[in-house]
Amino acid sequence: MVALVIILAVVVTLLAVLVAGLLRSHADILKALHDVGAGVGDPALDGVRAGHDHTGPGSTSGPLTIGPPLPAERDSVSAPTLAGVTPEGDARAIAVGNGDQLTLIAFLSSGCSTCANFWDAFARPEQLDLPDGVRPVVVTKGPELEIAGELRGRARVPVIMSTEAWGDYEVPGSPFFVLVDGRSGRRIGEGVANQFSQVADLVRRARVDAAGSRSDTGGPGPDPDPDSALDGPARELANDRVLRDAGILPGDASLYPRSLDDVFGPGAGRA
Amino acid sequence: MSSVHAHGLGVSLPPEFEGRIFIRSRVAGERPFPVAHFATFPLPDGVGDFGGGAVNLMRPTDIFAVLFEYGPESLGTALFARSGMVRSLSTDDFRPTVLRRGLGGQSGTQWFFTEGGRPFTFYAVLGSHARRSTLVPRVNALLDGITVAAGAGAGGGSIPWN
Repeated sequence: MVALVIILAVVVTLLAVLVAGLLRSHADILKALHDVGAGVGDPALDGVRAGHDHTGPGSTSGPLTIGPPLPAERDSVSAPTLAGVTPEGDARAIAVGNGDQLTLIAFLSSGCSTCANFWDAFARPEQLDLPDGVRPVVVTKGPELEIAGELRGRARVPVIMSTEAWGDYEVPGSPFFVLVDGRSGRRIGEGVANQFSQVADLVRRARVDAAGSRSDTGGPGPDPDPDSALDGPARELANDRVLRDAGILPGDASLYPRSLDDVFGPGAGRA
Repeated sequence: MSSVHAHGLGVSLPPEFEGRIFIRSRVAGERPFPVAHFATFPLPDGVGDFGGGAVNLMRPTDIFAVLFEYGPESLGTALFARSGMVRSLSTDDFRPTVLRRGLGGQSGTQWFFTEGGRPFTFYAVLGSHARRSTLVPRVNALLDGITVAAGAGAGGGSIPWN
């Protein structure tokens, strides 16, 4: 009987320790959520209330974001310098805002099957069919996530290995393309594609759009006006105005493509 | 400010500068050493060690600079007697006659020195000598961000001392 009581006491003690550990873990998770801006309440003001009173006065709520923001969620058009190492072990930094050219940044991986088409395309840059004045650059993740030997010799355009650049440009996955205007030092286009011909077409359209924007503001030449590169809510309002002027109102079917064909035209969605 | 490092050289690039630090492939019995190119304009591929193929693309507001390492046989020679890289230049240090390739309107400066037990030359070109008062401070900002590790040498390996 005494032995049974002792065993029960030990079990209860162990369970108490386990529950205390779980509570501590729960508190750590709540604190981590606060650190990423997705917490509830302010643990510095009321550590007990956090996680227990989600609707009470003083409590706050925030969006929980996992991974890089999707294109529609971004509010930044900045284009920082691409800096990293090359597959050959050299160092390379490319400033995308130091000239009159456009820079086409292709974020690729060595392993993704869709990227293979683009690696093949960049192995023959003379056949890329890009407009004049466009500088292609391939950016992979850094040597800690990519094997340099697998990238060596796969492209005859500059290749930079930099995980930091993927964060700077909020790349959601590969392949992903960003077009930067060198004069304004800002992103003027970004997105995904299945084939390089689609990318080249997007670059040509971006140049035309940039030229139109330039002429709208009375500026000379085909390059976009740096002052017209808006950011955040101002950019969203400007986009809404352009869509409205084009007769595309909220709810328009063209705003909700269901396939790549809807975006690029019939047949373009088949790689 | 972006930073790059390779082959025992590093640089924190001032705004609008880009660059590369590389070692050319070996040709025959040659032993190549690190070269660093810096420019305020898009550097094309295949630029010569001292800017051939690049300086002709410069606008009047541009800067091109080279940090070129020589072999250990140069150590101790009179040309590399200066200890440490020059870190601050004046407008008087740039002259139209100090150019590897004399292009109208440009000017240049070149310095030989030894740093970290490695012999180097630093060569810089201004797109316009007339604008040197605004361009030289940017060269100095570049110089301020360059770091040289001691005795890294070609391919990151140790230099075979004689």
